[in-house]
Order: sequence, then structure tokens, then C-alpha cells
Amino acid sequence: MNSYKYKEIKIGLSQSFDAVITQKMMDDFLSMSADTNPLHTDREYAKEHGYPSQVVYGMLTASFYSTLVGVYLPGKFALLTAIDVSFNKPVFVEDKIKVFGEVSYMNDAFRQIEIKAYIENQDNVKVSKAKIKVGLYE
Amino acid sequence: MDSAEIFNRIQDIFRNVFDDQKLIIERSTNSESIEDWDSLNHINLIVAMEKEFSTRFSLEDIQGLKDVGEMADLINKRINK
Repeated sequence: MNSYKYKEIKIGLSQSFDAVITQKMMDDFLSMSADTNPLHTDREYAKEHGYPSQVVYGMLTASFYSTLVGVYLPGKFALLTAIDVSFNKPVFVEDKIKVFGEVSYMNDAFRQIEIKAYIENQDNVKVSKAKIKVGLYE
Repeated sequence: MDSAEIFNRIQDIFRNVFDDQKLIIERSTNSESIEDWDSLNHINLIVAMEKEFSTRFSLEDIQGLKDVGEMADLINKRINK
């Protein structure tokens, strides 16, 4: 886990990490959220509606922004205060994603940073974008 | 930039931060006047104003501000100095 303190951060500082979306993640998300929408749970239903298989929950994909902030940028001393996220393309089970974030703004008075982030899949297609506001308590 | 334009821009910032396009602010508006004006939205307001007016505020600058009027005066001084 990274532990950047506010004074160690500069605009342009970036971090990224890779992850693979698994069926277990989908099952766990279903269990946690009770979102039973068939687009996420029924392969045949998803195929009937033009997708190769069930679509990964957008909020499951977005959960990796939490990891970006809490583990990588800035890491330990983060307080996630706001996130504006878009889901630009569908994500599927077994997709290999890369999560990327870069500090775009800093406010010294409140020790708050803003991060421009995105997630892309194995074909380098951006599947999600986000603007994230993070406070730092160190 | 004259005082009226500054105030109009501040009003737009308030409308965006509080997601209320009908919100009317006055010089006397303060955190007691707007229910959603909590600590988080206070940060959002200050950051939005920094970006809108291309300036920076220190904690000392903003700690003593009592209402929107004092904020507008501070911005006026900054950008018209």
C-alpha cells in the first residue's frame, strides 16, 4: 500500500494497477447488493439483448476506483469524498482491466486533491472514466 | 471584472455546487442560509471559486469569511489588484 502524504504529492503524479474481473466477483457483488437484474446474472438474456455474455455490474467496475484511491493514489491517508463516474463501454467476466489515475488539482487549504481516472480493458478501450475528490488527513 | 459580474459568477458556482438552478444568493447568504452547506460543500465552493477566478486561497484567507459578501470582496481584491 502506498502512503503519500499531501506534501509529497504533485499535480501529474500518477498510479495504475491491473485486475481481472472474475465470476466470483460477480457472484459476491450479487450477494452483497441484491441487484438481480438479468443483464448481469443471465447469460442467455444478455445474449438476446446483443451482448456476448452477462455484463459486469458498473458499480463493481467502479469499485476499483476505491482501490485506486485507498491503496495506490494517495493510499493509506485517503478520505474519498466524491466521485463522478461514467460507464462508457460494457465490461465482461474475464476482462483484464487497467485502472489509471493522475492528480489533476490540489487545494492546499483543505489538503484535498482531485484525480482524473479511467479504466481500460485488454483492448485498450476506455470502459469507464471518473473524476475523484480525495482529502488527506496526513 | 466588476463586482456585479463577480457576484453573478459566484451565484452560478452556488447553483452548480448545490445543484439548484433557482438558488438566489445575496451578500448576507451564509452557511446558515442553505441547508446543504456542510463542510464538504464548503470545500467544493472554495475549490470551484479558485478554478473560476484562477486564484488560490490559503486557510487564513477563508477562515474569517462570514458570508458570501466577504467572499466576493476577497475575490474582487484578488483579481482586480
